[in-house]
Amino acid sequence: MSRLSLKSLASDPQRLLTLALFVAVYGYFTLEFPVFASLRSTFSILEGLAVIGLVTLGLTVTIIAGEIDLSVGSVAALVGVVVVQLMSVFGPVPAILLGISAGAIIGVAQGYLIARLGIQAIVLTIGSLVFFRGLSLILAGEKTVALTDFATSDFLQTRLLILSPASILVILIFVSVGIFLKFHRFGREIYAIGGARREALAAGVPVLRPMVITFAISGFCAGLAGTIVALRSGSAQPLGLQDLLLSGATAAFVGGVHVLGGRGSAIGAAIGALIIQVLTNGMNLYLAPAYVVGLVLGFLLMIVILLQLAGEQLDRLKHRRSRIASLSSQSVGPPTS
Amino acid sequence: MQSINSMTELAARDEQTWMRRIKPSLAVAAVVATIVVLAYGALTTPSFLTAFNVGVIIRAAAFVGIMAIGLTFVTISGNFFLLSVTEIAALSSIIFTFSVNQEFGFLSVLVITLGMAAILGAMQGAVIGLGGNPIVVTLAFGGVIFGCAAYFSDAQMILVNRPNPFEWLGAGLSFGIPNVTWIFIILAVIGEIALRCTTFGRRVYLNGDNRAAARAIGNRDYVIAIQVCAIAAVAGGLVGLLFSAQMSAGYINHFTGAMGASGSLTLNAIAAVMVGGTAIAGGAGSALRSALGAVFIALVDNMMVLRGYPAGPRILFVGLIILASVSAYSLLRKRAQ
Repeated sequence: MSRLSLKSLASDPQRLLTLALFVAVYGYFTLEFPVFASLRSTFSILEGLAVIGLVTLGLTVTIIAGEIDLSVGSVAALVGVVVVQLMSVFGPVPAILLGISAGAIIGVAQGYLIARLGIQAIVLTIGSLVFFRGLSLILAGEKTVALTDFATSDFLQTRLLILSPASILVILIFVSVGIFLKFHRFGREIYAIGGARREALAAGVPVLRPMVITFAISGFCAGLAGTIVALRSGSAQPLGLQDLLLSGATAAFVGGVHVLGGRGSAIGAAIGALIIQVLTNGMNLYLAPAYVVGLVLGFLLMIVILLQLAGEQLDRLKHRRSRIASLSSQSVGPPTS
Repeated sequence: MQSINSMTELAARDEQTWMRRIKPSLAVAAVVATIVVLAYGALTTPSFLTAFNVGVIIRAAAFVGIMAIGLTFVTISGNFFLLSVTEIAALSSIIFTFSVNQEFGFLSVLVITLGMAAILGAMQGAVIGLGGNPIVVTLAFGGVIFGCAAYFSDAQMILVNRPNPFEWLGAGLSFGIPNVTWIFIILAVIGEIALRCTTFGRRVYLNGDNRAAARAIGNRDYVIAIQVCAIAAVAGGLVGLLFSAQMSAGYINHFTGAMGASGSLTLNAIAAVMVGGTAIAGGAGSALRSALGAVFIALVDNMMVLRGYPAGPRILFVGLIILASVSAYSLLRKRAQ
């Protein structure tokens, strides 16, 4: 079993590269700061991973479907505000459930509109990005809103060695979304409309259902991420969390999604998010300001895109060569594979 | 296969004749909407139609408008948007401040600032032209460019030495109209002529309308991508230069915080392009209508400010404008098919 997985790893250079990047980043910071490998530091990485991981997972699913959800930051901020505002009225559990379902419903609506209107998600979600920013400002009364009861916040941050209730929940979500994507028919449909939409349509895959599911997952994940941030800090900023898009997108692309869709997995999203979170935590040890983190993430994203483009060109070249080869062999006799 | 091809061709031709019929009506609708808002606002909002307030509006419209004119080229060419124009404006603001404070001459400051913007735009265009997704590429570059600008300026506001020749450009008046507005009007006319009456402009339209046909007649789409991205970036750089000259200070957060409604100049400019009726998939649109779109957004924003609306509803409105124009366009196109 282990030999098999090792073999599949060796045949997947991108995954190998990603793992090497993780080892390099983690190793570097551990050598530089021995405290980086401590239990407390690992706990802090996993806490941050809960938020970035969720956003990465949502973005990964939308990119697999051949689209991208630009509104994740705004939806996270909006749901954070909604949860904080509802906490004082309904108490913690109903407020959290209502907030997260609001995120999922927003996703469903976006997916429905994208499939029905036949427009690209980029265009719709850039509008909803602005729209939800305005909405969360209105709902928050134009200011940062704060919790009055911190019992839930304390519970979320209970430390169990290196895990907390929040990170356990996120791990469970990763496992279930991963299984859904890999084994459920609806999950496979998401890959189908991303990798080859026309062929999928011709084969009888509807675009509406996978699109709605895709954006529901994305909205749900963004909403839950916003909820975790708001509950952990005890407050919600209506204009906050906008940099989640860059970190999430970088993590998703490092984790192996392809911009043309149809490629990527929940495991990849987890590894990508882990790398980004280790990088962010490590840079925090250097007391790097937020814009340096943005600079490094942007640079990393740029390199990943360039590598993907180079791989594409290489594939095209190989394809052309094999076609020429098969054509020349055809002229002699039947092609042998 | 042949029948499918001819059918799509037929559909495309149908769409074109429809677009020809729709385009004037869209323009009329935009003009009527502007007039209705103006009339309603003038009648019901105190101090809306004063000479001072008109000056405020056309000054505000100028910055969004110049950016929107640049973005129009990118959108018409079928490359969606340059999400990084605000970040380019921020970097230009810093470069402009440094070079003025180094006592460089008028022309060399202009060349350094706009040249840097053009190079950054061309770099993004090159990656996009090779097949990179415009949104992801410009998201990555945006992070890097903003990080560099913040790094060079320590995220501080830097004062521009006075007097300098750019003060007249940024804050001066000619014939009673602000110079930035003159620049805006002249650029709108130049942009429109470049799009309508030059070979380059027609190539931009063709590239967005039918990339395969464009390629077949010898259009190199990566050259087009580089050109349009450089144009949009120079427009962004010019906004950075003019605004810093007006404020006599270079600052990276000039364009993300206080400017306009949506909290980011890029998003306002995108809203202006969309409300101007530019086809989001490329192939149709006009610089003049984008300029009118910017005026429309500035008008409504100004009216909402005078009526005492806080940031929330104003941002919500910009989001609604984007969502409405995207949906309207795609519905019209669907009906045409």
